[in-house]
Amino acid sequence: MKYNLELIKNKSRIIGFSTVLILLSLLGILYSTFNTSYKKPINLGMDFVGGNETRIERFCEEECSNFSPDTVLENLREISKNKNVLSNIKLQFQNNDKLISIRTPYLSIEESNNLITNLDNIIGPLNYASKDSRLIGPKLGKRLLTNCVSSLLVSLLAISLYITIRFDKKYAFFALLALFHDLLIVFGIFSWLGIILSVEVNSLFAVALLTIAGYSVNDTVVIFDRIRENFKSKNEGYNETIQLSVNESFRRTTFTSITTLIPLLSIMLFGTYSLFWFSLALSLGIIVGSYSSILLAPSLLLKD
Amino acid sequence: MKRRQGWLFFIIFLLTLSVYLLVNYPLQLGLDLQGGSQLTLQIIKEEGKVTKDELEAVNSVIDKRVNNLGVSESNLQTLGGDQLILELPGEQNPLVASRVLGKTALLEFRTQKKGTSTNLKALQLQRLSIKELIEQYSSAEKSQNDNNLKVIQDDLKNIEQELNYSSNSNDLYGKLIEIKKYVDKKISNLFIKTDLSGNDLINAGRRQEQTNSNWEVLLTFSNSGGEKFAEITKSIAGSNQLLAIILDGESISEASVGNQFVNTGITGGSATISGNFSAENARELEVQLKGGSLPLPIEIVETNTIGALLGSKNILKSLYAAISGLIFVGIFMFFNYRILGFVSVLSLVLYGFFNLALYSLIPVTLTLPGISGLILSIGMAVDANILIFERIREELNDGNTLTRSIDSGFQRANSSIVDGHITTLLSCFVLFLLGTNFVKGFAATLGIGVLISLFTSLNCSKTILRFLTTYQSLRQKNFYLPKNNFSN
Repeated sequence: MKYNLELIKNKSRIIGFSTVLILLSLLGILYSTFNTSYKKPINLGMDFVGGNETRIERFCEEECSNFSPDTVLENLREISKNKNVLSNIKLQFQNNDKLISIRTPYLSIEESNNLITNLDNIIGPLNYASKDSRLIGPKLGKRLLTNCVSSLLVSLLAISLYITIRFDKKYAFFALLALFHDLLIVFGIFSWLGIILSVEVNSLFAVALLTIAGYSVNDTVVIFDRIRENFKSKNEGYNETIQLSVNESFRRTTFTSITTLIPLLSIMLFGTYSLFWFSLALSLGIIVGSYSSILLAPSLLLKD
Repeated sequence: MKRRQGWLFFIIFLLTLSVYLLVNYPLQLGLDLQGGSQLTLQIIKEEGKVTKDELEAVNSVIDKRVNNLGVSESNLQTLGGDQLILELPGEQNPLVASRVLGKTALLEFRTQKKGTSTNLKALQLQRLSIKELIEQYSSAEKSQNDNNLKVIQDDLKNIEQELNYSSNSNDLYGKLIEIKKYVDKKISNLFIKTDLSGNDLINAGRRQEQTNSNWEVLLTFSNSGGEKFAEITKSIAGSNQLLAIILDGESISEASVGNQFVNTGITGGSATISGNFSAENARELEVQLKGGSLPLPIEIVETNTIGALLGSKNILKSLYAAISGLIFVGIFMFFNYRILGFVSVLSLVLYGFFNLALYSLIPVTLTLPGISGLILSIGMAVDANILIFERIREELNDGNTLTRSIDSGFQRANSSIVDGHITTLLSCFVLFLLGTNFVKGFAATLGIGVLISLFTSLNCSKTILRFLTTYQSLRQKNFYLPKNNFSN
């Protein structure tokens, strides 16, 4: 089975498609920065702004009784000491009213314990063995954010250096262009997810971006390797050699993406909730990354 | 051929060794998998960086306090130069630990300035009324009695007027606490520092007072500390000057020294603090004093608590995810590459064992992000196999013999594989250096995975493949390629 992607014919379409994706991402980032309540390019989660998140299950016989979050909050306000905290609280029921997830600004351990005790009084009994609670101080949040941004920058720099040493300038430039294209689009998608579904990004999102960076460059490098090899061994025109190389490595690139997507999908299906958005970010990155390695980066190399 | 057989035995040896390691040295599970609490303590220093010595000193004080608390199997480690991480496994409430650890516990002994008696008496009275107000507030809160709250508010206003100070907090409770701190500070300012401090203690204990149910804390001084204490008590014995014991700027006890100590001071090297302690408070103070005071204040900046039930659920979920990932990748590979696919599944299984064995050897504590790194690296490990198999397929299509195709397939894929692994390793390296604890787990397992996959995909796959192709019956080309690949 031979593949025959008509790269040369479709060059302008591919570049146009990527441009649209990038513009959409930028639009999301701008909209998120100016038109949302959080005024950030992306909806920063608790890791970066600090706060308290607790998830806990209720003990129920057969079915859990139905409460509306508003009534519960009303009750909580009545019996709680620290009224400031309660003005900024989010409460949700999940899993057929069994699982309660509650988010507040930063609390001390004592305050957080009190909150759960109060909750227990209202909709208990609660199963403390199922509790999952995180408290992050605002100071640490800021620090985590700078930490993540600097890790991203340092590792992008390291990858750029490696690529420039390994390939000549033109190849390196386009490989990196494809890389930033992938990262920008994944970032943009999460900006949109933040706007539409109020999805938040945590430090694992930064980890996902870093992993995508390594992965996307890897894919592009394999194809560029093949192009270089074919320039040496095959006697065809410049553009034709590139197209041939892409078609030769097409199977490899798609297969690799599929075998990486399979484990990620199983994490999304069977894994814990904390890893869901992480796996989604990685999956999106791998899909966009394969697209840019197979179609975009080689198209940019083509001569008119 | 001999050399390859050597490799085969080596691989079997490694596999046996891995199984042995895994059976005898079980994997260490992180708190998100076994349940427990994790506290991140940040050392606060206004100017300059926290030095190594300061970090050591804080670490040792915290360590002593944790041990004196009697927490089982706790684990304390430093992180990034100015943070400490304390892990409390199981169902241990982090609340007590946080109360005991967060305080600096700077103990001072001060003597009263001359001629401040009336001033002190007024302040002591104010302190008493604020304490009462705070108690009233708690009961008024519980009974939802708004009238009582109103009364407390008015009383507080009177005290503020007497003190000539107005509080800045928004809610009533905050105001009460703020005023109490203000009064505490004014009281301690009426006393002069002496050279006796918490450093002069060799032990601290607690006991119940005989007359009532309150607790008192017993201090034992070192030899020099005992002498200092005698000296200080001698200097104020019989006068109306008081001796104050001050903890973190707040006076917890003020007492007079009787006339009978004028000549020698209080000797014997011990003192008691009796300030209406509950059993719990007395125990906390005891633990803090035993551990000594912190050279720098700390703040608890992060607390994670995971219930034991949730932990075991997390293990199961991760196990499902890993196994289903492996199975589906295996099916995909077998479907596309036949015997080659089978070989890659075998080397994946080896890959899994080697990885886990290394975790227990190093040791790597397995956490949720760590597991996701491992699962993700399955995909990357297969990537190397795919690169090689595609090359073999091309060679076969070009009409080369099986043995030749396999050889040159491995050879020609080498550079791409190494390149790809290096970029991923670079990312892992940066993540491990700069990342938080949470992120480090991911970087470690992914990095180890990438390194091991270099060995399994290059060496193990090749060895297994060579071994299989020694059987004549397994040498038919169509065992290696699905039919449609041949048509061309």
